[in-house]
Amino acid sequence: MKILVCIKQVPDMESRFRVNSAGTWYEEQDLAFRLNEYDEYAIEQAVRVKEGLGGAADITVLSIGPDRAVEAIKKGLAMGGDRGVHIKADQPHQMDAWQIASLIAAFARDKNFDLIFTGLQSQDRGSGQVGGMVAELLGFACVTTVVGFELNGAVAAIRREMEGGLRGVVRLALPLVVTCQLGLNTPRYPTLPNIMKAKQKELLTFQAADFPVGDSLVQTEKMYPPEKKGRGLVLEGDVNELADKLAAILKEKAPALR
Amino acid sequence: MYLELTEEQRLIQETAREFARAELEPVAAKLDRGEERETFFRNLKKLAELGFMGLNIREAYGGSQVGMVAFSVAITEIARACASTAVTVSVNNLVCDVIQTVGSEEQKKAYIPKICSGEYLAGSFALTEPGAGSDAAAISTTAVLVGDQWVLNGIKRFITSAPYAGVFVTWAVTDKNAPKGKGISCFLVEAGTKGLFIGRAEEKMGQHASATTEVIFDDCRIPREALMGKLNDGLHTAIVELAGGRVGIGSLALGVGLAAMDYAARYAQKRVQFGQEIAKFEAIQWMIADAYTELEAARLLLMQATFRADQGRSFYKEAAMAKMYATEAANRACYAAIQIMGGYGYSKEFPVERYARDARVTSIYEGTNEIQRIIIAKEMLKSLAQS
Repeated sequence: MKILVCIKQVPDMESRFRVNSAGTWYEEQDLAFRLNEYDEYAIEQAVRVKEGLGGAADITVLSIGPDRAVEAIKKGLAMGGDRGVHIKADQPHQMDAWQIASLIAAFARDKNFDLIFTGLQSQDRGSGQVGGMVAELLGFACVTTVVGFELNGAVAAIRREMEGGLRGVVRLALPLVVTCQLGLNTPRYPTLPNIMKAKQKELLTFQAADFPVGDSLVQTEKMYPPEKKGRGLVLEGDVNELADKLAAILKEKAPALR
Repeated sequence: MYLELTEEQRLIQETAREFARAELEPVAAKLDRGEERETFFRNLKKLAELGFMGLNIREAYGGSQVGMVAFSVAITEIARACASTAVTVSVNNLVCDVIQTVGSEEQKKAYIPKICSGEYLAGSFALTEPGAGSDAAAISTTAVLVGDQWVLNGIKRFITSAPYAGVFVTWAVTDKNAPKGKGISCFLVEAGTKGLFIGRAEEKMGQHASATTEVIFDDCRIPREALMGKLNDGLHTAIVELAGGRVGIGSLALGVGLAAMDYAARYAQKRVQFGQEIAKFEAIQWMIADAYTELEAARLLLMQATFRADQGRSFYKEAAMAKMYATEAANRACYAAIQIMGGYGYSKEFPVERYARDARVTSIYEGTNEIQRIIIAKEMLKSLAQS
C-alpha cells in the first residue's frame, strides 16, 4: 500500500494578521507557522491505515512551500510518515489551487499511490479545492469532508459530513483521494524519540519549476479585513416574549435546530 | 551568533505546548485544589510515553536524548499550564540524569527505563533533611554496612514525588569521621523496601499536586550493590547534578511568569476604568514592559546555560545565574500580574494568584537563590583571581 499525504504549513491561527503591502495576501514576517490542522487528521489517518495493515504501507508526506515548510514535513515524519517530499516554492500563495494540485499530480502521477490523504482545506486560504483537483488530474475517485474512514482490502468505507448536519456513507475502491475533516480522528502527539528520528528519514527536495504547470486560473485582486458590521442584537421586554423571539432567531439562523 | 531553536527543538516545544494546552491547563486549577489526582498521574504517564521524562537520557536506557535546550523549552511550556506537573517532570529528569552519570550499567538498566517509560510515575531526589537544607553536607542520615547490606537510618524532608516514586536517590553518611562533606555516599532505594516510610506531607503555599513529604529510613536494609558511584564521594555528585536541576527550575519559573503576564496583559486590554482600557495607562504599560523584558532576559540566560551544556562545556555558573534570575523575574512578574488585575488578581476565580503561589518556591528549592549567588560569586572571583 502506497500512501501520499499532502500537507501545508500555515500561520498559527492565534497570530495577528495584517494584509501585506501588495494587498493580496497577509504579511508573513514575524508570524509563527505550524502544520495545517486538517492535515494533521490526514497524517494521523494515513498512519492508522499503516498500523491497521501491520506496517505494510509506505507513507510519503508532501508539502509545497518555502524552506520553513520542512518543519511541517518533519512533524509528519515524526508522527509516522516514512519519507518527506518538499517541493520548494518561495511564494506559494501566488499559485492558485489549480497550480498547487497540478504540482502534486505531476509528482504523484507515476508513483502508483493507492491512497492520498489531505486536509479538507488549509486554515489560511481555505479554498478546499486542492484535494478534488488532484483526484481529477490523476483520475482517482475522491471523497471530501471525511469524518470516518475504514479500509477493508481495496475498498474503503467512508463517512462524510454533508450540508445541514447530514452524514453520508460511501463505499468505494482504491485508488482514492480523501480530504479530512475535524472529528475524523485525534491526531497523536509526536514522541520525542520520533521527532529525533525524523531527522534521519529520507527527504526529497524539488523545485516547483521542476514540474511544468500551467498559468494560474485565479488571481487574487484584493485582500482586506471584513468591514465591521453593526453591534449584536439586544432583545428587551417580557421574559416569555424574549424566549419566543430568541427561539425564532435560533431557528432561522442556526441550521442544527432545523 | 545564532539565537534560533533547531527544527527538532521547535517541534519538541510545540509538542509540549500542545500537550500542555490540551491536557494540563484544563485541570491545573483543580489539581491546585487537591482534585483530579488520577488525571495528574495519567498525565505524568502520557508525558513519559511521549519521552519527556528522560530528555538527556540515552536511547539505550529508554530516554529521548534531545539535550538541555530542548529540556528547558519543554519545561517552560509545561509550566505555563501546570507548575506541579512541570516540577515532577523536572525532578524525574534530574533523577534519571544522576543515575546515568554515576550509576553502574546494572543500575542504569534497572531504574532509568522505568522512569522514562512511566512504569515508575516518578523518581525522588532525597538529599534535604530537617537539619540540612542549603548546608547539604550537614546531613545526618547514616548508612552502615552490615554483612552484605547497607542499613539506612534517618529522616529526609521536602522530598518531591515521594508517595508515588518508584526509586529514591538517597544520600547518607558512610564515614562519620571524615571531614564534613567527604564521608557522604549515594544510594538507590526502591519504593516498598522494608524500613522505608513515607512520612508527613507538607501543606504548602503552592504546587499542590506535586507531593512533598518526609521520607523516613528506620533500619532500612538495602543490598550492598545499591551504593551508587564511589563510596564517600556522593555529595560531589549531588552538587554537580543539581546544575541540570537548576536549569529545570529556572525554566519552570519562566513558564509560570509568562503565564501570569500573558493573562494579566490580555486582561488589561479588556478592563475599562476611567473610560478606557487600563492597558492604555502608562502605569500598567511599565509593569508589562518591565516584566516581559525581565522574562526575556531570563529566557536568554536559560538558553545560554543549556546551549553550553549541550556543547559539553561547563554550565555550573550559568545554570546558577539563570536559576537565580529567572525565578526572581518570575516572582516579580506574578506580583505585577496580580497588581494589574487588582482584586481579580487576588481572587481564586482567576489563575493569577495560583501562578504567584506556584512561583514562590522556585527561588527556594533546587538550591536557594542565596546559594546560587554564592556559587556565582565564587566562580567569578575564581576566574578573576586566575587572570
